[in-house]
Amino acid sequence: MGLSGFDHHDRAGSGALDAAAALRRQAPQRLRAALGSRPVAAVRSFVVVLGVWWGLSLWNANPIQLPAPPAVFAALANVASDGELLENAMISTGRLALSLVIAVAMAVPLGFWMGMSRRAHAYIDPVVEMLRPISGIAWIPLALFIFGVGDTLPVFIMTYVAFFPLLLNTIAGVRGVSRRLVQAAETMGVSRAAIVRRVIMPAALPSIVVGFRLAFAGAWAAIVAAELIGAPSGLGFAIEWYRQLLMTPKIFAYIMAIGFVGYVCDQLLQGLQRRLTPWTDRSRG
Amino acid sequence: MSAASAREATPKLRFTAVAKEFVAPRTGKRTLAVTDVGLSIEAGEFVCVVGPSGCGKSTIMNLVAGLDAPTSGTITMDGRPIAGPGADRGVMFQDYALYPWLTVSQNIGFGLENGTPGRGLSRAERDARVRHFVELVRLKGAEDKFPHQLSGGMCQRVALARLLANGPDVLLMDEPLGALDAQTRLILQVELLRIWGETAPRAERKTAIFITHDIEEAVFLADRVVVMGTGPGRIRAILPIDLPRPREEGTRADPRFAALTKQVWELIRDDAYQAIG
Ligand SMILES: Nc1ncnc2c1ncn2[C@@H]1O[C@H](COP(=O)(O)OP(=O)(O)OP(=O)(O)O)[C@@H](O)[C@H]1O
Ligand SMILES: [Mg+2]
Repeated sequence: MGLSGFDHHDRAGSGALDAAAALRRQAPQRLRAALGSRPVAAVRSFVVVLGVWWGLSLWNANPIQLPAPPAVFAALANVASDGELLENAMISTGRLALSLVIAVAMAVPLGFWMGMSRRAHAYIDPVVEMLRPISGIAWIPLALFIFGVGDTLPVFIMTYVAFFPLLLNTIAGVRGVSRRLVQAAETMGVSRAAIVRRVIMPAALPSIVVGFRLAFAGAWAAIVAAELIGAPSGLGFAIEWYRQLLMTPKIFAYIMAIGFVGYVCDQLLQGLQRRLTPWTDRSRG
Repeated sequence: MSAASAREATPKLRFTAVAKEFVAPRTGKRTLAVTDVGLSIEAGEFVCVVGPSGCGKSTIMNLVAGLDAPTSGTITMDGRPIAGPGADRGVMFQDYALYPWLTVSQNIGFGLENGTPGRGLSRAERDARVRHFVELVRLKGAEDKFPHQLSGGMCQRVALARLLANGPDVLLMDEPLGALDAQTRLILQVELLRIWGETAPRAERKTAIFITHDIEEAVFLADRVVVMGTGPGRIRAILPIDLPRPREEGTRADPRFAALTKQVWELIRDDAYQAIG
């Protein structure tokens, strides 16, 4: 009652004055909304982290262990401007992309087979379960003997790491396909092959896409270790290079770059996920 | 002439002493869903099945669809045992079974696009067919929505349109209008009778099995109402509905309509009370 009375009074006022008053009333709300928005919240968190970091570096007073933020940002600007950061980032993401392509090409068809055939599952699953707990990093020394230092080693390690989440999510996706949806297709005279293509594949896709994001996250985490030891280039190699030169600010610059590239890729993948499987996004009207 | 009499001799669908028992895969627990089902359905007949929840209506529909096999007894279609699912028997499932990754139009056109019903149709003909049934179930404007963006009643209409768009010879419908508002329901009952072939000569009609909880709906639509009971599921009675066709609004005012409705209710009342405890 009270609210509607106020409204009525408001509308009765003269137009221009009214609009100005409305604006004044809205202003603090808008400011509050802007302060609470995501970018602002992110900046706020960064400021806090930066403050703590600076404090710690002053207290520690050992720039080899922990340089102050200005030194790191100067190093970042340095490696960024002379192009080596971009070059190494391109090399690493290129390896990542290649590994993910290989992992998808192997894990997804295998996952479909294992998901649809009990027999295949019974044969292959024990091997998978035995290999899966072994970290990709454990294979690096052996891979060094086999592949030596070069492109192959990090690609092999990342493919290995990406393979399992993709495989397991594909199997789960295929097995989780509603029987009802397959039956419905059967009553419409859809052939076996078309059921796989038109029902099982799309029904399993959301789970496979989730597997792909997990595969990416795992592979990106493993790349540093792989390149640290087994590659003559890339972001991981750069960290190791500057460690030997005792240039900690540049190490930090590369660590930040790894975090940043990973974040950007994950955002891209989330966008891809929304595009590929819009029906799983229940929040959108 | 001889072909016609042969057709009359073999019913479209014949159930002989059909029983279906489910065995739970892990525990081995047995559930006798239906037993002792004997029924012949003529080509062009509209049969409604009513009965309390859990009496085996969906089970019987799955058996006719070929999605399940009877534990004992036989079901034949045109004299041949049912061997598996096929597009000659279209099914509308109780839970709709819509494809969540497809839009309304794509769901309705799924069978035309990927199954046998679309054979020999050009792209334009398929599209026209889909559009026709979108309009029939009053979903114009929602064609490009996904199932999760629809209300329950809208999903049900998509499922009905998909069934009808495939144009099967035998229509198997599991509570196809149950989620609709009363007005839409009455409109679609009449439309359904038209598509089934109410105004066509008997030989051109489709064969329909229509499961419903609504007794008036059953009496309004059916040539015969099959009343089922529980414990275990079986046929309790089969009631011929001799109301004139085409049925229309006036049919409900017919005193025979009221009498038949009452008769069906009396047949299932005891079971219905038992079912709710
Ligand atoms: N796959 C199954 N496994 C075990 N029991 C089942 C299975 N399907 C159905 N049943 C049992 O068979 C009986 C009949 O089920 P059905 O789904 O045919 O009932 P209904 O008449 O369609 O009921 P409603 O009106 O609620 O849909 C029930 O007791 C049910 O528990
Ligand atoms: Mg049912």
